[in-house]
Order: sequence, then C-alpha cells, then structure tokens
Amino acid sequence: MADPTATVCPRCAHQTVELVFTSPVPGVWDVLQCGRCLYMWRTSEPERRTRRHAYPEAFRMTAEDIRSASEVPAVPPLRTS
Amino acid sequence: MAYDDLRSFLEALDKEGQLLRITEEVNPEPDIAAAANAAPRLGDAAPALYFDNVKGFTDARIAMNVHGSWANHALALGLPKETGTKEQVEEFVRRWAEFPVAPERRADPPWAQNTQEGDDVDIFQVLPLIRLNDGDGGLYIDKAAVVSKDPEDPEHSGKQNVGIYRIQVKGRRKLALQPVPMHDIAQHLRKAEEEGEDLPVAITIGNDPVISIVASTPMKYDENEYELAGALRGAPAPIAEAPLTGLPVPWGSEVVIEGVIEGRKREIEGPFGEFTGHYSGGRSMTVIRIDRISYRTNPVFEHLYLGMPWTEVDYLIAASTCVPLYEQLKKDFPEVQAVNAMYTHGLVAIVSTKKRYGGFAKAVGLRVLTTAHGLGYATTVIVVDEDVDPFNLPQVMWALSTKMNPSGDLITIPNLPVLELAPQAQSPGIVDKLVIDATTPVEPDRRGNYSTQVHDLPEAAEWLTRLQRLSARR
Repeated sequence: MADPTATVCPRCAHQTVELVFTSPVPGVWDVLQCGRCLYMWRTSEPERRTRRHAYPEAFRMTAEDIRSASEVPAVPPLRTS
Repeated sequence: MAYDDLRSFLEALDKEGQLLRITEEVNPEPDIAAAANAAPRLGDAAPALYFDNVKGFTDARIAMNVHGSWANHALALGLPKETGTKEQVEEFVRRWAEFPVAPERRADPPWAQNTQEGDDVDIFQVLPLIRLNDGDGGLYIDKAAVVSKDPEDPEHSGKQNVGIYRIQVKGRRKLALQPVPMHDIAQHLRKAEEEGEDLPVAITIGNDPVISIVASTPMKYDENEYELAGALRGAPAPIAEAPLTGLPVPWGSEVVIEGVIEGRKREIEGPFGEFTGHYSGGRSMTVIRIDRISYRTNPVFEHLYLGMPWTEVDYLIAASTCVPLYEQLKKDFPEVQAVNAMYTHGLVAIVSTKKRYGGFAKAVGLRVLTTAHGLGYATTVIVVDEDVDPFNLPQVMWALSTKMNPSGDLITIPNLPVLELAPQAQSPGIVDKLVIDATTPVEPDRRGNYSTQVHDLPEAAEWLTRLQRLSARR
C-alpha cells in the first residue's frame, strides 16, 4: 500500500525506507523501517510517530547520534591465551 | 493450583472475572498500549485484557496486563484474588523455603506444532507485534523469558539463566536484546564474546504466569529459575528441550524463538520507554539472529505495557524483588523482619529490623547495597523499626517524621554502581547512594528523646475484628 520510496524516516529523515511487512487484511497498513536509524513504524500509527513534520524533537535522531551511541554492553577484549 | 501454560491461566482469570475481552475492533496502535496503560488505573483488582479483533490482522490474539494487579498476581500464585499485598509477599517467602524443586522434563510440548527455519523465518507472520510508547524505536517484545547457559560451564543447571530483557524487533529474523551488565545473561555474553563466540539463546513468549515471575526475580547467579518456579507452584515446573539449541525451555510456551546473540556485534537500538518511567536513549546494542521459531497453533502474544508507574511491570516485579533481598539480608541479620523493595525494582528499598545495639540499623541498610540485586539497584534504603510495617507507607512516613535526625541518620556513599537506566545517576551507571536510618536509637546510641512511644492498645486488635464484623453487616 505505502510506497517506501516516497517516504522519509520520521525520526532521522533518511530517504531509504524498506517495506518489512504488510497487513494480512490487504491494504490496511504496512510496517516500514528506516535503512539508517532502523526506526520501525506502522503506517496506520498517529502522525506523531509516522510523519517527519510531526515527529517530536525529543525523539529525533541524527547520523552523529548513531555513530556516537554508547555500546551496551561494551564488547570485551578477546582472550589471548 | 499450578498452571502449565498461559492459556489455562487466562481461562482461570476469565472465571474469576479478571480477564476483560475487548471484542470490538481496535487499532494495533495506539489502542492496545493505551488500554494496557490505563488498565492498572482501575485499581488493585484491575483485569488482564484480551484482544482478538485488531485492525489489519486476520488472526491476532494479544493478552496484556496479565500480571497487572494484586488480584491477578495472587491468582498467578494460586491464592485467592483478595489476598493483600503484604500477605502475598509473606506467602512468597514461605514458598521460597521449598526452593529448590527440580523441574520435570515433559514430552510433546505444544509449541512443537509449527516451525519456521532459516531464511523462511518471519517473526511478523507469527506474532502481532505492536508499539508501546511514542518514542520507542520500534516494535518490542518485553515479556519473553530468555534462556541461556554459561558458556564456560554449560552443564551447570544453576548457572543457566531465565530472564526477561527488552527485545527490539529489527527485521524478519533479526532482534536486539539489552543485557544490563548486572544481569546474568550479560555474564554469559561476556564469556562468549571473550572467546569470539556467539551466545545461543531461546526466547520464550506466552508462558505460564509463574515463569514470568521467576524470570523477573533477581536470583543469585548460580540459582536456577525453574527450581524456584517449582517451589512457587508447589509442583515441578514442566520443561522441554528446545529443538535447535537444546536449551531447557518452558513446556507450555506459546512461542519459542531460537538463535544466537552474534558475538562482538553491536547496532543502534532504542530508545525504549523503560521500567524507570523514562526512555533510555538510543544505544549500540547486541544483535540476535533468529534461526528457528516453534509455535503453538493460534499462538497468544502475551505482551506488557510499561510507563509511568504503576503499570503491569511494577506488579510483576514487586514481590519478586522484595523476597530475594529479604532472603539475602536475613541470612546475615536474622533481626530483619520484612523488606519492601516494590518501588521501581528496588531503586528504593524499605527494611524493618530489630536492633542488636546502637548503629546496627545502619549496618543493615549498608548491607542492602552489597546484595547481588542491591549492587545495581538499591539507591535509597530506608531502615525502620521492627514494629513499623514497611508495606504501610503512612507508618514509614511516621518513622521518617519522628525517628530520623538528618544530623546523624543520613549516610551517603559516593560513586557506587547502579544500572545504566537509572536516570538520576551523575553519569550512567554511577550514583551516590543513601541509607536513611529511621529507627529508634538504642544503647549506646543515646540521641533523641524516645522514652515514651505510644503503642497500639492491647485490646485494639480485638476491636479491629469486631469493627470489621459490624461494618460488614451494614
């Protein structure tokens, strides 16, 4: 139903969005995912979760946020012995 | 009454009037999460919610708020639904005394009815996944019991772990999982990653209600959750071997997802509205590759809303946080009477204790900070006298009002560990901790003027019964 190529990620404004799943009842909703920040949403959700212009500032993410995200848990050193 | 699977418990809830079936069509978002957010606001007898008419799905069954009230928590333990909070905790303590009760291996698990494998795996075909809170980075699974083994000691059944962790769905066969460093699965993962290995996991969804309770109980590293389940159920927990990983999983699960946490790999995850009532930020977290999904025909997706307390998670981890702390304290200090660590998984804990001598209550409070769970959680500890009920907050406030002198009763210890999700930390994972001594000073601590405390009249208990009887007749 939704055309992923015509959609930007509501969270990080990335322009590559993938169709992950489509409603078992045809044409009701799709589940989409951003190729960069991996945000996932259903097209039937409220605008505050699905549209860039309505997406809350507090939850927006940038490429820098992704690069600098801390590791949880940190990857430990390999054992050498 | 021991339930062997989620379905039999849902039937029991239904019979007790504790399951509300929402039959009219609802939107997957925001309806289901909003209803589960609202349900605990109905009070201590709030029902579980069951949705089977979800827009766009042809075959969805979603159970929410299954543990989301004291009434449902009581029924999960096979107690009358009217059982009070403190009585439920006391019963939990009594049953813990039976620990360990070995699990029972049972054949023909219902989840063996259907299978997806390898590239055919598509979790969206199995579960009607939904978003919980506005800022969540995606669709989460947050009530699954995740099973893993210690890679260095895989035959040690005590060191295996069954725990609940937040899991983000990242793709048809890709998940993310949060191993908080204080939790057992983080130790398993560290050992695997130090060897450059993956960590096999089995993620079990839709379990009998005691499995969810033990999976969220902060047990010691070498204690087996199934053996606690047996003690709480009063019957061995039925388990079966997961077909791909060989991990021991609940016999009665609706869905069993098997795969590996891919060693030494991290990827952006979150945010997620957490049990603290705050979102965690986006972090770089572990990646799970799903290799196999086994599931019952017409699986029920049991899910949990969490947000500003109290929500279902607070009921699920209330008694189960109090009791292990009580058990560990009692071992060193038999004077301890009760522990109330129901607030945000024990970030605040209230302990009532008798005193051996002056300063003793402070020592008890400090010991809370070094218990296995306290290390990562207990941030403020309030110690009260033995005649103060830590579950009775007005009494606790009375103790703070009259027994606590800030000049000598506040002990702050800087830079102790806390889980990274605790929002008040100065930097994630490090916080100052506080012990508040709200007990009456005893010799040789001679501070204050406490010679004349008023106690309940000896006849008051009898009068209480009499008044209750008279009130009931009205």
